[in-house]
Amino acid sequence: MKRRRPTGRRLLNLLVSGFAAGAAGLGILVLVWILAGVVQRGVGALSPAFFTHLPAPPGIPEAGLGNAIVGTLVLTLAATALAVPLGLLAGVYLAEFGQDSRLADNSRFSANVLMGMPSIIIGVFAYALVVLPLGHFSGYAGIVALAIIMLPVVARTAEDMIRLVPNTLREAGLALGAPRWKVTLSILFRAAKAGLVTGILLAIARVSGETAPLLFTALNSPYWMHSLGEPCPNLTVTIFNYAMSPYTDWQQMAWGGSLLITFGVLALTLLTRFSLREKAR
Amino acid sequence: MKEEALTLPAPRFFIGPEDVREASADAALTAAEAGPKIITRQLDFYYGENQALFDNNLEVARQMVTAIIGPSGCGKSTHIRVYNRIYELYGDQRATGEVFLDGRNILDPSQDLMELRRRVGMIFQAPTPFPMSVFDNVAFGLKMHYRLSRGELADRVEEALDGAALWDEVKDQLHRPGTALSGGQQQRLCIARAIAVEPEVLLMDEPTSAIDPIATAKIEDLINTLKSRYTMVIVTHNMQQAARVSDFTAFFYQGRIVEFGPTTQIFTNPTKKQTEQYITGRFG
Repeated sequence: MKRRRPTGRRLLNLLVSGFAAGAAGLGILVLVWILAGVVQRGVGALSPAFFTHLPAPPGIPEAGLGNAIVGTLVLTLAATALAVPLGLLAGVYLAEFGQDSRLADNSRFSANVLMGMPSIIIGVFAYALVVLPLGHFSGYAGIVALAIIMLPVVARTAEDMIRLVPNTLREAGLALGAPRWKVTLSILFRAAKAGLVTGILLAIARVSGETAPLLFTALNSPYWMHSLGEPCPNLTVTIFNYAMSPYTDWQQMAWGGSLLITFGVLALTLLTRFSLREKAR
Repeated sequence: MKEEALTLPAPRFFIGPEDVREASADAALTAAEAGPKIITRQLDFYYGENQALFDNNLEVARQMVTAIIGPSGCGKSTHIRVYNRIYELYGDQRATGEVFLDGRNILDPSQDLMELRRRVGMIFQAPTPFPMSVFDNVAFGLKMHYRLSRGELADRVEEALDGAALWDEVKDQLHRPGTALSGGQQQRLCIARAIAVEPEVLLMDEPTSAIDPIATAKIEDLINTLKSRYTMVIVTHNMQQAARVSDFTAFFYQGRIVEFGPTTQIFTNPTKKQTEQYITGRFG
């Protein structure tokens, strides 16, 4: 038998780890590039007025995206309030009660498919579901669209996190005479807390940058938000409109909005990592 | 305590008053008078298609410690997991036969599980503190089964921790998480949690297999103290432990009860060859 030369093996090893490191470096480079670009061009737009003033026609100073910032916050929070309880309950069903039943299998499969669905399709779906019957674009439609995007993310992470809780803890709760729902709410939720929070934060991060579903639902508005029954101002659609415009001051505002969203999502992701580390302790 | 008159089939392992006196003289009268706490009749158990217990017949004496010994996989844990029907968490497990607790068949579908599990507490192999404070761990069951004022609750928690010989060690850290205690303390916390709801029976499934020898000694002492109030069934791998803490011993092998009798007799003068071989360490 012919032995392979160790130098060849060493060379191959060097080559493969070099490629791997290169790929990782490339990924990080792109991320840093984007972040740097967004900061460099967006930071000039940030001023007190950016956060407090209404948008203005091109050329007017002291314009801001205050209404869009508030709108995005309201839409995201409302979608979270809608999707989180539903998603948690669905996760509990999948992990604890349905397990391998047909309904659970089908729901799990649907959730997985829904997670991979292009968000523009969900926007069109919410358009058909809410906008058409109401006859006009509205914040409600936007909330429904965002909630549908969040729902499978929350449900699947909740299922996975609850399943991770060891059976001994379930048995210990039941052995004290606790009914199943009580064991789930008081013991399993607590044991899986960090994971559940992570899932919710990830879902929020996922929708806070969505534009396509809002184009068909909440649309946008240059005014302060008065009611969810009308088109709602929001950052992402505003960025889309401003970035496509020929006016440099609007483009500047779009960069400012991008900076805000990018760092908002980054902060949420960091928070997620932090809460996971908390769990590991 | 509800007691229903029931005519029971003749027991296969009959524990006469003589046996009981031999085991523990002072408790003999009460035990003989009131009869066994738990009577198991023709208990079979299945994990899906696999039968794990075959025709188990056993009588657990009131306010005594009954040890269940036998090699791994012989059905010891499976047997006691029927007493509080905890196996029902898993859809594919089922038991047939009868288990009478104070004369009432707990395998009857009409048996209220919450009440059964309040009356029959369980301690597991590894300590299982809930992810909450020491106080809340003990209060969890109390709040569920009793309507108590804040003060009463605090008193009952202290009483239970004291009963589990843990109060002195944790009285200044009641609001720390239960998971922050040492392994032995965690196991005593689980005992406190179980006795807080005033059970009649305590099932212990290898309660010391995950903790160190000193903590084990403390738990064995505790078992000796607790038996004046509770009927206890302890599954153990450790034969010295069975000999130290129990009044009666059942030897399980391959899902069957090979021999059952007073612990002194099982360990000094077993009647079955398999028992003798296991006890002398020739298999298992």
